[in-house]
Amino acid sequence: MVRRILGLTTGRIAVAILTVIALLAVLGPLFAPQDPLATSDHPLAGTSGSHWLGTDYLGRDVLSRLLDGSRVSVLGSLEVAVTALVVGAVPGILSVYLGRAFEWVTLRLVDTLVALPFLLFAVAVIALLGNGLTQAMLVTGVLVSPLFYRVSRAATLSVARSQYVEAAIISGASIGWIVRRHVWAKVLPPIAVAFAQTVGVGFVIVSSLTFLGIGVQPPEPTWGGLLASDLGYLGQKPWAPVAPALLIMATVWAGNLLADAIRDVSGEAGRALIDARRARPDRLDKTDPAPAGGTR
Amino acid sequence: MSGRLLPRRRPAPGPRSFTRRAGRLRTAALGTVLAVVLVPVLAACGGDASSANGNSTLKWASTYFPTHWDPVVGGSGAQFRELALVYASLTRIDENGEAVPDLAESWEYNDKGDEITFHLREGLTFSDGEPVNAKAVKAAVERAQDQEDSALHGDLTSIESVEAKGLDAVVHLTQTDYQIPQLLGERVLQIASPKAAGDPEKLDQNPVGAGPFIVTQLVPGTKAVLKKNPDYWDADNIHIDNVELTSAPDTSTIVSGLQTGVYNFADVDPSQAESAKKAGLDVFTQPGFNASNISLNVNKAPFDNEKVVDAVRYAINRQEFVDKLTFGYGEVTDQPFPRDYVAYDPESEDKYPYAPDKSKKLLAEAGYGDGDIKLDLVISAEDPQAEIVQSQLAKVGITVNIKIDKNWSTPFFAKDLTFSLYSTTGRDSAVQTLTAHFGPDGPLNLSSPYEPDGFEDAVAKVRQTPLDDPDYAETLQAATRAGLESDALIFTYSSPNLFAKSKSISDLPKNPAHINWTGVTISGNG
Repeated sequence: MVRRILGLTTGRIAVAILTVIALLAVLGPLFAPQDPLATSDHPLAGTSGSHWLGTDYLGRDVLSRLLDGSRVSVLGSLEVAVTALVVGAVPGILSVYLGRAFEWVTLRLVDTLVALPFLLFAVAVIALLGNGLTQAMLVTGVLVSPLFYRVSRAATLSVARSQYVEAAIISGASIGWIVRRHVWAKVLPPIAVAFAQTVGVGFVIVSSLTFLGIGVQPPEPTWGGLLASDLGYLGQKPWAPVAPALLIMATVWAGNLLADAIRDVSGEAGRALIDARRARPDRLDKTDPAPAGGTR
Repeated sequence: MSGRLLPRRRPAPGPRSFTRRAGRLRTAALGTVLAVVLVPVLAACGGDASSANGNSTLKWASTYFPTHWDPVVGGSGAQFRELALVYASLTRIDENGEAVPDLAESWEYNDKGDEITFHLREGLTFSDGEPVNAKAVKAAVERAQDQEDSALHGDLTSIESVEAKGLDAVVHLTQTDYQIPQLLGERVLQIASPKAAGDPEKLDQNPVGAGPFIVTQLVPGTKAVLKKNPDYWDADNIHIDNVELTSAPDTSTIVSGLQTGVYNFADVDPSQAESAKKAGLDVFTQPGFNASNISLNVNKAPFDNEKVVDAVRYAINRQEFVDKLTFGYGEVTDQPFPRDYVAYDPESEDKYPYAPDKSKKLLAEAGYGDGDIKLDLVISAEDPQAEIVQSQLAKVGITVNIKIDKNWSTPFFAKDLTFSLYSTTGRDSAVQTLTAHFGPDGPLNLSSPYEPDGFEDAVAKVRQTPLDDPDYAETLQAATRAGLESDALIFTYSSPNLFAKSKSISDLPKNPAHINWTGVTISGNG
């Protein structure tokens, strides 16, 4: 599937951006040219050789803080996505096989979770458990999990009613074997799409919470936190929010782009799409009929 | 034959018609742009113009929107300015910081100074029709002393009882105390209608006072709409007909709100002052008593060691707070008042200057090496002050971990914290400010019941000194000096009372720390 995703331009762009962001998360703090917490006597300074992106309201190097803050932002969004995947996908698949009682209970739970506004709920949980990003992300992950539940359940239902699965059940195959052998391969592509989408959603949530000063203790830098603090000094540095805003935007966009690419290459339709693009990239063959509506 | 029966023939397209069409397009575009630009501007001006018709509206965005409208629960903090729209008090503070008549037209002490009689104005009523009399004053004092959720218990310790004699309220004191007229002003004793106050919870939602305005609509925590109170004793000098008080949104949006006419008055953060000036707004500071401090609990380690306390004192660079947080509008202070206040003690000035080397030496003498001391600085919300403290103490080897606790007030006022920050807007009575910070039960003394030696006697002496006594200033400063011997507080800077207003609003009286709307007009040329 990876090869097929990289066969698409959008897939290559998404993977390239996400790779850079992942590298920033792993190595960013090491690349920071200065101590991200060290204040100086030059608050709100413009760009210079020593401060490529200027300094913040306490005279701290903005580039160093952006690089240092990438880890919290990325890990937070991954926490949301992984939690949602585990909490949503497993019961989603099992709800098809573990009887009507399990199905009814999980469906009602999912309905309940969908009704809760996850940002407000995350704020409430932090108020209850203390100001930490991990607990907020875990709770948010649970609230996002209905997406995985529904996607995996729908995919499993379509497989469960196929003749070869029914034949396997009649032959005495266990549910575990059927899930591993037949269901998992069918469920994986839509789950991968949902996962890539959820990474983007998670990023927005982390940025929103840290923008509100929730989840991290100052002076720990985060992209959302940097954006929030920059907005208070627009009179002095009107361009300051651009860097964190662009990073957040690019990451969320790349997550969505990757989700689209996975969807495009998944299943028979996806493979056909890729084959067609390889055969005739952006060109009409002379023998092809003109598209409806004419050409422009 | 006049009129036109046949359709007008259009000229054939040519260079001239293109020019004409382009000209028409330009005219249309210009017209559209002018309409887009001028309509809101004219509409905004229209709003002000209505003031000429006796319908002037103050649109105030406040960062101190009252969380409680019952003055007893609201306490004597910064929100008193907004509550003073509704509630009047026995006295008020004039531009010299002195108590002048409000609901009481005069007062006098007995010879011993332990009894004061306030003479109320005749014929006044609360906005619910209840009479303003000594019974109402007595009820207000007793409610402030007895109501379970009162935030004023500690402010009224000098008052033993109130005797109601028609329009004369005789206040019996527990000690000689000449601070009472200062104390019973807008901060501590805003008087509510006793009938409405019979149900304090209802009063909190429907405030009823005898102040310059009456609340007509209240959305808790968000917005209050008020109209002028025609029965206010000084109604002739109130020229504002309506008030829309709004809880201020994010600081960065206030200037644009003022620019577009959503508000015409707001308190602004110093970081927004330049933008407000560039937007053509009036930016001004009101005199005040603001002072920020670092609160230490000397009952807990490591601050039970005096050398550690001194080390922290020498590690603090006050100028950095002023430079980075006030944008030139604030000033350093090492006392609970700004420098130009009567209680500020020049003798105590700069007793602990910034000396990081001395700080490190003291820490070494106390047996602490680099990184040995790790402290949790607990605050209620994100605050750059905390980050400055953290970085300054890091330079002398003290590690500070900032902890935001939304429930901060509970452990702070229960004196459970070791290390915190507090900023006060001061009090009209300097003694009240001193006892709040340094007294054994002072709410801002994190180290209760600790108090510095000699403080109690020094404060008692101030209470016994009439405010017009020539020795008053010296006696007061001596009390400040005694208080500053406390190991529990390190004062850092005084932030400004910074406001921005539309030019259509006339200048405000400079009553220190107060917002006084008497005589203020809103013109129609804004």
